[in-house]
Amino acid sequence: MFNYLIRRLFQMAIVLFLSTMASYALLNLAPGGPLTFLTSVQRRMNQEDIARVRAYFELDLFLPVRFSRWLTGFPRGPITVGGQTYFADFVVGCRQPREVEIRYSDGRRELKTVGCREGQDVTLADLVDRPRSSKGIIFGDLGNSWQITRDRPVSAVVVSRLPRTLQLMMISLVLSIIIGIPIGVISAVRQYSAFDYTVTSMAFFGSSMPTFFFALLMILIFSITFKRMGWVYLPPGNAESVKDYVIPFIGAVDAGSLKDNILHLIMPVSVLTLFNVAGWSRYVRTSMLEVLRQDYVRTARAKGLIERVVIAKHALRNALIPFITLVVFSIPAAFGGAIITETVFNWPGMGRLYFDALGRTDYPVAMALLLITAVLTVVATLVCDVLYTVVDPRIRLS
Amino acid sequence: MRNHKNAMVALAFLTIASVLLAACGTQVVTQIVEVTKEVEVVQTQLVEATTVVEVEAASFTKPHPLLGDIRVRQGIAYCTNRPQLIASVYPFVDAEGQQKQLMDTNIPRASWAAYDGPEIQKYPFDATKGQALFDEAGWTLAEGATYRTNADGDEMNLKFTTTTAAFRQTWAAVFEKQMAACGLRIIRLHAPASWWFGSTTGLRHRDFELGAYAWVGETDPKGQTLYACNQINVPENGWAGQNYMGWCNQVASDAINAANNTLVREERIAHYKTFQIEFAKDMVSLPVFQRAEGNAASSNLVNFKPSATEYYTWNSYEWELADGGDTLVLALSQEPASMYSLIESAAVQRTVGWMIFDSSMSQYDWDFQPAAVAELSSVENGMIQINEVEVKEGDPVVDYSGTPTDSEGNLLTLTSGLKVKTSSGEDVEFSGGTVKMNQLVATYEFQPTLTWSDGEPVKKADFELAYKNDCDPASGAVDYSTCQSIQSVDFTSDNEYTVTYKPGYMNSLSFIPPIATYPSHQVLSDGRKLADVPTTEWSGLKEIAETPLGFGPYILTNWEKGVKLELTANPFYWRGENKVKNITILIVQDTQQAVAQLLSGDVDVIGSETLGAGAEVQTVIDAQAAGDPIQVLIEPSATWEHIDMNLFVP
Repeated sequence: MFNYLIRRLFQMAIVLFLSTMASYALLNLAPGGPLTFLTSVQRRMNQEDIARVRAYFELDLFLPVRFSRWLTGFPRGPITVGGQTYFADFVVGCRQPREVEIRYSDGRRELKTVGCREGQDVTLADLVDRPRSSKGIIFGDLGNSWQITRDRPVSAVVVSRLPRTLQLMMISLVLSIIIGIPIGVISAVRQYSAFDYTVTSMAFFGSSMPTFFFALLMILIFSITFKRMGWVYLPPGNAESVKDYVIPFIGAVDAGSLKDNILHLIMPVSVLTLFNVAGWSRYVRTSMLEVLRQDYVRTARAKGLIERVVIAKHALRNALIPFITLVVFSIPAAFGGAIITETVFNWPGMGRLYFDALGRTDYPVAMALLLITAVLTVVATLVCDVLYTVVDPRIRLS
Repeated sequence: MRNHKNAMVALAFLTIASVLLAACGTQVVTQIVEVTKEVEVVQTQLVEATTVVEVEAASFTKPHPLLGDIRVRQGIAYCTNRPQLIASVYPFVDAEGQQKQLMDTNIPRASWAAYDGPEIQKYPFDATKGQALFDEAGWTLAEGATYRTNADGDEMNLKFTTTTAAFRQTWAAVFEKQMAACGLRIIRLHAPASWWFGSTTGLRHRDFELGAYAWVGETDPKGQTLYACNQINVPENGWAGQNYMGWCNQVASDAINAANNTLVREERIAHYKTFQIEFAKDMVSLPVFQRAEGNAASSNLVNFKPSATEYYTWNSYEWELADGGDTLVLALSQEPASMYSLIESAAVQRTVGWMIFDSSMSQYDWDFQPAAVAELSSVENGMIQINEVEVKEGDPVVDYSGTPTDSEGNLLTLTSGLKVKTSSGEDVEFSGGTVKMNQLVATYEFQPTLTWSDGEPVKKADFELAYKNDCDPASGAVDYSTCQSIQSVDFTSDNEYTVTYKPGYMNSLSFIPPIATYPSHQVLSDGRKLADVPTTEWSGLKEIAETPLGFGPYILTNWEKGVKLELTANPFYWRGENKVKNITILIVQDTQQAVAQLLSGDVDVIGSETLGAGAEVQTVIDAQAAGDPIQVLIEPSATWEHIDMNLFVP
């Protein structure tokens, strides 16, 4: 087991490295970036201005160098040993790239960067006074935000969003398990009954309904229409209100109170729960149906065990083994948030933050969120494998 | 240079020879093409081709086969039914409103600089006229054909590039049909905004034929960076400049430069008139329409006065709640990145900034009014003086176009060959001796009762700190051209300073104070005084970015990231006590959600940056009609859509 864990940890590190490298490259090579705003207003810019802004965001460094500085915080300058400086002139970037146009005989034209303008190389010595360098994410420094909280730590903004996301996702996760598993079990045990047909129909409805549409529909009905009609209504969005308010039959609600928070949670939690329950109940149903046909279930019944024990102790326990995978992998998702639901309901969580970070090309924030999801996913994979050994004695890790 | 050319020709022959030899030995039609720029071999690359290409010596010098012809450009303008385009995206705007949104030149009709005389060539929808121009240009429509062709049989088509925004997809589809009706095939390319506005792609590299996007009109029309000949972005200047059409009309260029180099409004109007006549005549950029914008607020809010040219919070000190309430809730679609105005220029930052910092002046309804300044500096009131000075070689100057640096960013001094503007207004190339130039000296006087929100009066050291910090190249600002144009500053009192600009500097906006204020007395949480903190650290300081001191009507007391900003009335506000004591700004990214919150009463104000002009405007109009207690204000915005025509190809 120990050797297995060591091996897995080593593999995890490699997977993480490769995934972060791929994410970093994709984000940084995509068109756009923090300089996009330069063209949005009338502005007199010269090459020096452009070079200065590029340097501010470290876009003048070669991609592998930028990645290395983001990951490890190095290189931060020339290597100094015993007062002697080495590699000070080593080129790590270019302030003003040299571009040429290539024209093909079929009329195509292509613009290519072919090196650097003369005297515009960035060397290791130039990195010494750079104010924006971080200590590297492997040392826990996620760097500074480019746009969302400009020049301030990414970790602060991530930490500020985490509690709300966990609140929303965990409640939804627990409710989905509490509702989804029994529905799946009953559907399987009473296959082709009216209940089974009803639940199956609802599951298909829940799975096929886009969450944003369902969310907007709920806002229209339960917030706007109900309020206009003078009925009990729900707040359309946010995690809590700014002003105190009164809801018919419920009475006065203080802004920021527990009651206020619960009222704000109802709709987003319902949307997420409905979506999860729809899928998970079908999953449990299928798994249960397969287990119920197994010989050991028949044996249990033949031994005279009451049906409830057969279902709960012999069938369900085995049917839930593959379900572990689903639940464990929901944990990284819980930290990552639900992008669409959080955006539509204006829930201040990680999903909305990720959406915002991509929209505003705040790559340090987007990378931090991708990294967190990647870490949690590889950890979840390990946890999942270990859990299998706990719930299924037939599985051995070696 | 000649040797290089010979070498290039020799290489080309060698290349052909190698291709022929290769072709004898194998069936693969592959050759080596020397790819050149100017006269220098820069890259060798294998290309599937049959002939060697002779590459033009310079970039973007060959006129576009269609758009290089003014008749084609004017034909496109006549074939464009702009009211129909407006109706396609703003179904809630009536015919009268549509007329308000139309533009004939680059300056919106409501602007003080707009000219509407008979010399302006207008392009009302007239497909017959447009088609006649196409015919005249040699693009004729064969019987039964849908699209025109020229004598060589080439089809008349143009690539039309714009963003993927649904709004643009809608009007672009209508535009495509309008052009097809005139026999011009439009090939629509909807690129991601990140590509279209990217720093190394799309517009920046003039990678388009027809290109649609928007400019934000301003109270001062400016326009130098968009239309002057020296602002054409080409590879040679590192793609600097925003004249994406590559348009160089010397009369227009001189006029736009001159309009931005005088302080007398009548003169400016005259220069803008000249410019607009040329702009409309040449038809290099078709102004399509001013966008519509909607603002909505609770009926409970009194004195809500949004304006196309000013942030709607400009008069928050006047706001009042009819029911006597003391808390107002605003929804903003985007969160400011920072309250440090030097590095964050987003509209949402300015919207919040007005309430915290106030502003030296407001720009309500397309004109300037004093706010934190006691009065607008002008030649007439003696606060701006234009002195004639004699300048000799080596003295700091700005060039004839008002630029303080060369293309490499080096500060200009008077040297041989530099083109400067003399005191008589003539552009001359300096060749030695001395030259007489104008030097601008402007005094800026602020309200004497300006007081920081912690109770400390604004003083001389605060202006000095701002000058020191904001003009430091390490501060993180994007544009230092104003700083680079200043020769010296004399801080004369706690509410007044005088700036002496470099000879030749004649910015029409010189009445705007170029130097801000920072609370030099402020002590940071780590015990340091703000004045002692290096500029590179400022953007990361909580006291600057999140809880700044200001002398505006409100104090930012709490900022919950991604959720809300809480402001309370500033007890030391120089205009007196505010009626609304608390303002909370909620960050609501989704417009539909913001509207839902307005209708449910959770939010009191949705500004144009959040409400926009999409389907949600119709929702609030319908809600108002249904009796919901809201006010809806729809007007032409300062932002205008246009179609740029790239006059040259590489």
